[in-house]
Amino acid sequence: MGSFMPREGSTAMDKKMCWILIFLTIAGNVVMVQWTVEAYLGREFEQVVVYSGIGVVLAFIALIVYINWRKLEYSTEGHR
Amino acid sequence: MTNECKKGRNIKDSTSDMVNLTKNVDQTDDLKYNRRAFLKTAVGASMALGLSTVPFSVRAMMGIAEDEGERLEVARMDELPEGNSMTFNYPTESDAAILVHTVNGELVAYNSACTHLMCPVFYEKESDILLCPCHKGYFDVSNGQPVAGPPQRELPLIELEVENGIIYATGRKYRHG
Ligand code: FES
Repeated sequence: MGSFMPREGSTAMDKKMCWILIFLTIAGNVVMVQWTVEAYLGREFEQVVVYSGIGVVLAFIALIVYINWRKLEYSTEGHR
Repeated sequence: MTNECKKGRNIKDSTSDMVNLTKNVDQTDDLKYNRRAFLKTAVGASMALGLSTVPFSVRAMMGIAEDEGERLEVARMDELPEGNSMTFNYPTESDAAILVHTVNGELVAYNSACTHLMCPVFYEKESDILLCPCHKGYFDVSNGQPVAGPPQRELPLIELEVENGIIYATGRKYRHG
């Protein structure tokens, strides 16, 4: 599909990086769900808040990275 | 960023060669299940997972606010000789608990709902252990930690105080030991 040549203006946040970050947030969120439930069942409510806070932050990172990826993906010329 | 790409992104009458390959029988699928769609699904999954923890923290905040630990008279010392146990409810009527005077003279109490699937646990005097008969879960009577069988978490510990030969429950601890 796309050209494999490095595009001009490609920054540290290129598309591959976006993919990696998004999958890292998935991995992180799976862990956070597990820990949250565990802490909740153990009535460690302070920890529940911490873990779920991290989960929310990771969800936002995923969203922001996705928006960034979308910008890069759909701005590339010659794909359509 | 181009503006017109937004609307025409995945439509069939795109001018892209990839879309207009001749004899592309799976064209609809190709447009639907592709790399981009996969990444979008991944983002959705990540966000769904992350946000699914929010209800837990909301409940947790309510839990922090609610305060346990009122003092309740459970039993008199002379009613409970060594090696015996009795049931009571603490902190509310729906929280079954077990008070054990072990064969070694220790006085301990736990919520008696097994941490596996909530069956009530019993004190076994002969082997000085708490037994859940449902799936043969065993708990150490001196600290409530699971020692054998399916349970993974310890039993909630009920803090006790003895005053003038009367045993009081004064609080509950979920993680201990
Ligand atoms: S319910 Fe206690 S071991 Fe399964």
